[in-house]
Amino acid sequence: MITYLRRQASIYGAIAAIVPKRFLAFEIWFWVSLILGAIEMMILVFFWRAVYGQTATLGGLSLDQTLTYILLAQVFSALADQDLIWEFGFSLREGLIAHMLLRPVGYQTSYYVQALAGLGVRLIMQLPMALLATAAFGLRWPTDPAAWGAFLVSALLGYTALFFFHWILASLTFYTTEVWGLGVLVYGLTRFFSGGLMPLAIMPVWLRTLVLAIPFAQSLAIPLNFLSGITPVAEAPATWLGQLAWVIGLGVVSQLFFRVAVRKVTVQGG
Amino acid sequence: MASVTPPAQFAPPVAYNAESVRPAEAPARWELVSLMPAIEVHDLRKVFRIPRKDPGVAGAVKALFRPRFDEKVAVDGLSFTVQPGEMVGYIGVNGAGKSTTIKMLTGVLVPSGGSVRVLGRDPHQERVANAREVGVVFGQRSQMWWDLALTESLSLIAKIYEIPPARYRALLDQFAETLELNELLSVPIRNMSLGQKMRAELAATLIHEPRVVYLDEPTIGLDLIVKERIRDFIKEQNRTKGTTVILTTHDLGDIEELCQRVIIIDAGRIIFDGPLSTIKARFGKYREITFEVAAGAARLDLPAGVDVVRAEPRQLALRFDRTQATASQVAAAVMSQVEVRDFSLAEPDLSAIVKQIYNGALQEEAAA
Repeated sequence: MITYLRRQASIYGAIAAIVPKRFLAFEIWFWVSLILGAIEMMILVFFWRAVYGQTATLGGLSLDQTLTYILLAQVFSALADQDLIWEFGFSLREGLIAHMLLRPVGYQTSYYVQALAGLGVRLIMQLPMALLATAAFGLRWPTDPAAWGAFLVSALLGYTALFFFHWILASLTFYTTEVWGLGVLVYGLTRFFSGGLMPLAIMPVWLRTLVLAIPFAQSLAIPLNFLSGITPVAEAPATWLGQLAWVIGLGVVSQLFFRVAVRKVTVQGG
Repeated sequence: MASVTPPAQFAPPVAYNAESVRPAEAPARWELVSLMPAIEVHDLRKVFRIPRKDPGVAGAVKALFRPRFDEKVAVDGLSFTVQPGEMVGYIGVNGAGKSTTIKMLTGVLVPSGGSVRVLGRDPHQERVANAREVGVVFGQRSQMWWDLALTESLSLIAKIYEIPPARYRALLDQFAETLELNELLSVPIRNMSLGQKMRAELAATLIHEPRVVYLDEPTIGLDLIVKERIRDFIKEQNRTKGTTVILTTHDLGDIEELCQRVIIIDAGRIIFDGPLSTIKARFGKYREITFEVAAGAARLDLPAGVDVVRAEPRQLALRFDRTQATASQVAAAVMSQVEVRDFSLAEPDLSAIVKQIYNGALQEEAAA
């Protein structure tokens, strides 16, 4: 068993290791995403300051709490990034899926380890954003190790749940063979419903109920609530269990969905 | 050597004896041939559903509410067997169903009907186990990582296929020498020329020493020197490791160089399956003989069935029907009338033969 796990770790570790190399192949990507991220952070801070100009609290949150949440959401925005729809679309259009299916590895597992590696790279690339949030907008970082622990476990579970959810959506591309519309729609939904633009507490009850009934918020809003002090650390075990249920449910459905969808693969031409 | 007889249901449409097409210089591993065929295809079928839209915006809107589909039969009841170590040329015109067949053999496409077994496995159902033992070159698509240097791609492939480090280094050295890859190892795939990419692609396909290799147009767009190098490499892999090779190509030179057996398909059906020598014997009716002459003769008296292809001051090219005249009769006739300095006899041109077959030579032969 240990030998088997070691072999698997070696294979998938090698697959994950290509991700940073591919990121580093295009230095311009780093600078563009940094500039765009900084502009977005600035806009959101000014927007929420303007909103709080009329009121002291919103959804029970003060301006300081909301800004802490928003700045943390910007720094950890990579938790809500998933490229699966674009990747599936590209590999279907270019016929690369033929080669990917011909590797003796778990198809979903190889994408998952690459997604995790991509998350790591993106979080490192966000370090300048963390410095900007601290220096320019006064972000106060939480000091409670328990809050960080609750955040990290919750982030890993939530990111995994979102990965499986996007896997199901990406499998639709086997049927549609068109990804632009689906990709843009899912990107927009993820940005909004993940809680990257506003804390869930500020949303009207009906909207918050809807957001919690779908998986987008699991990867960003739920973990960030621990870090920004909105959810007490004592609630961590219950939250983790809920997220684990999302992971198991979506994991099973995504595998079944893919097994059916892959039979629709069409790779035209030589 | 054990005799291998395919089960009756896998019998090819044209009588074919696998023993007759095995190369005489086959190595020891060849002798250990398993009783199990490398590839068994029975009544294989693939039907694609293609959306049908009327032209214009109105047609596109109509298709949204009432989608209609046409069915396109790409592969229609193929049955054949390939023995371990065989190199089979799989040819046909564009749209004949070659690539679709290869994709079903690899397990990428799911057949609409019939069955495929590769080394005893269903390639789609047992995707991972199948992938360990096969290699594929799709001539128009790279399997490597576009942004990574060749050495990084190969090393990742070695990890994925769990090639022991020492074996990987030995194979890499060997491939680098045979395919002249040493200078390319640090070059990202995206910066390679077509020929360089194809050599790298072959290394990536064969580095895990697959037992079955599918080569889908491996020499497309390449110059003669690169083609020659690639053909030599494939031949060597087959000779030394007994690798089974299915080769699809439009370059019949590849088939002549590499394959002892050829399967010709048209509209998804096999129209010929047999040894290359048989096809040449049956349909290579015409041969060309070229003479270097001291001076051209004004008029030549030639045997029946001989035509002049080209008559130049120093060269004379004749085409003869070998059922009516032999090469020696033609040569003797010419030599008795003009001073011949040299002459050469060309083998039947495979592309001309295939053209004949597509133009109905098989049916004509059957009718006769």
